[in-house]
Amino acid sequence: MAEIGNYLEGEVAEEVRLQLEHHLSHCQTCTVLVDSTRKTLKIVTDTGSFDLPEATFRPIAERIMTRIRSEGK
Amino acid sequence: MSYFGEVALGSSFQPFTAFREQFGFVPKLFRAQTLVPRAIEAQGELISAILFTDRALTRAQKECILLALAAARGNAYCFCLHYQMLKLLGVTEQRLDHIAADYQQADLTPATRAVLRFTLRLVASDASISPEDVSEASSDGLTDESLLEAILTAALSRLLCSLSTGLGAVPDFALHSIPPPEHFSTAYSDNSSAVDERSGFHLSAPELNAGDFAPFAFLREQFGFVPNVFLAQTLRPDVLEAEAYAIRSLLVPDDALSRAQKGRLLLAGGPSEADLAASDGSLLNFARKLSVEAQEFSISDIQALREQGFTEQQILEAVVASSLACFFNVLQVGLGSAPDFAAMWTSKSADPKTGAKKAHLSDSDQRHTDIILPVDPDSECVARVQGGDLDVFEELMNRHSQRVYRTLVGILGNQDDARDAMQDTFLKAFQHLARFEGRSKFSTWLVSIATNTGIQRLRERRPMESLDETGFDEEGFRPRQVQAWTDDPEQLYSQAEMRSLIESGVMKLPVKYRVVVMLRDIEQLSVEETAAALGLGISAFKARLLRGRLMLRETLAPQFISSGRKGSMKGATI
Repeated sequence: MAEIGNYLEGEVAEEVRLQLEHHLSHCQTCTVLVDSTRKTLKIVTDTGSFDLPEATFRPIAERIMTRIRSEGK
Repeated sequence: MSYFGEVALGSSFQPFTAFREQFGFVPKLFRAQTLVPRAIEAQGELISAILFTDRALTRAQKECILLALAAARGNAYCFCLHYQMLKLLGVTEQRLDHIAADYQQADLTPATRAVLRFTLRLVASDASISPEDVSEASSDGLTDESLLEAILTAALSRLLCSLSTGLGAVPDFALHSIPPPEHFSTAYSDNSSAVDERSGFHLSAPELNAGDFAPFAFLREQFGFVPNVFLAQTLRPDVLEAEAYAIRSLLVPDDALSRAQKGRLLLAGGPSEADLAASDGSLLNFARKLSVEAQEFSISDIQALREQGFTEQQILEAVVASSLACFFNVLQVGLGSAPDFAAMWTSKSADPKTGAKKAHLSDSDQRHTDIILPVDPDSECVARVQGGDLDVFEELMNRHSQRVYRTLVGILGNQDDARDAMQDTFLKAFQHLARFEGRSKFSTWLVSIATNTGIQRLRERRPMESLDETGFDEEGFRPRQVQAWTDDPEQLYSQAEMRSLIESGVMKLPVKYRVVVMLRDIEQLSVEETAAALGLGISAFKARLLRGRLMLRETLAPQFISSGRKGSMKGATI
């Protein structure tokens, strides 16, 4: 299982990669798992979820800076 | 509950399962260490071999030793824990109070009384166990096996007391009044650094071949030789295995404190204080206070390290390594073994006989201390704020607001709470920045503050019991959605719909998986940085990440399987 994780990250030894790919060539379930997990990663990294909008952050930053400046005096 | 935040380790975390079976619950002492799970695993192995295994001494006798030594040390946490354990083992409160008031007169078997006398003498200030003490104990009917177990139990007591002090664990049970330490030993002191220089063992120790016996092979590989303190315990190969495991999992990994730093901490509790002069001052003072002046130790000692930029994981490791040093120190004194164990961590050769063997260790010590840290892109800004240019802190916030926010959403599972907790995180960072020394990257340090702020809030919001559970049967997790996905899932939905799908999928993950997916896949921190900020070893982190990704895949699958497109097709009218 750990090797699948490393395979998805492109971090397996050549020999292990060949073994895994040999298995994938005739196992439909594992092929679907690897393919869909890869797609999951792609959409998760491409989509940019949980963005903190600048308009939300600015007042928070201003409150913090006010506190800091008053503590610094 | 303790000085450290707690993270969920899942209902299948093996040491917690063992504690539940043996203690009936997971003591707070261990819950306080969830930021470094391998520390709990190491202690679990030691406790299981020494305390849970009935051999020459029974569990009740060993609990009795632990109770007496906790009282002698004035340690409320451990006293309450072992008082409760003895109650669970069927000892009445009346009898326990008698033992606490005067164990010499209490209703105990002669063997138990003798074993208590022996261990109390072991921890007394003039301690080092002499051959006469051993022969006196033998005439009381104690065998070498039971004496070795008594010494191991005394060492375990020292480990648990030191941990409870360093972690600030609050007793699990209502506080019993602790008898004054004099009831147990008039000459007791925490300073057990006086080691007898005699070599040779008082107890029988059959020879084990380092080539065949894996723990010895490991010690030889690590240190170049097998230290006397281990050679003296061959009556209990299972305990040696647990000790080697503890060293392997606690001291060898370099992911929080370096091995060299932990090596020096191990010395601080040991006998060779003269060797410490040139080493990391604050970390060593911390360790020395914990081992020698435990009564004076407080949250301010933890705070001092925080302010110097040590992460929570590093401070926790410092507590654990110092406590392990205390453990081995009691063993060394009790077994009368020549003190080569401490010497093996030093880079200078204190003993010409072992000098050559130590060369191997010196090399590795050097390697770790000379590591060149990557340049931190924030170091210039950090230095300017430290120099009094407060406005530059705003730039640091701008750079890292997204990262801090996502860390907090990952832990709290709620965007409103995360926004709230951001302010706390940045204010804490600012307050501690003056003493941040750049031991880790600023961003890693900041994520670790955010993690702890998040965990603290989570604890305030949810009962402690639920924190340990993921509410998800991890072992039972198997991917169920095995239909092929469409070729280009990103074409199925608009950007906003896609974001909403992912956000709701991530929010459904149990917290421990949510936070790793958030930091690694959404915030795209490196594996090393995320693992360090969360206090996880690389392999544990990778396992958790893979599980998190598979769970997220499972949640998203119904939207993307080729035959089951749901929601609005991009550009299509419904």
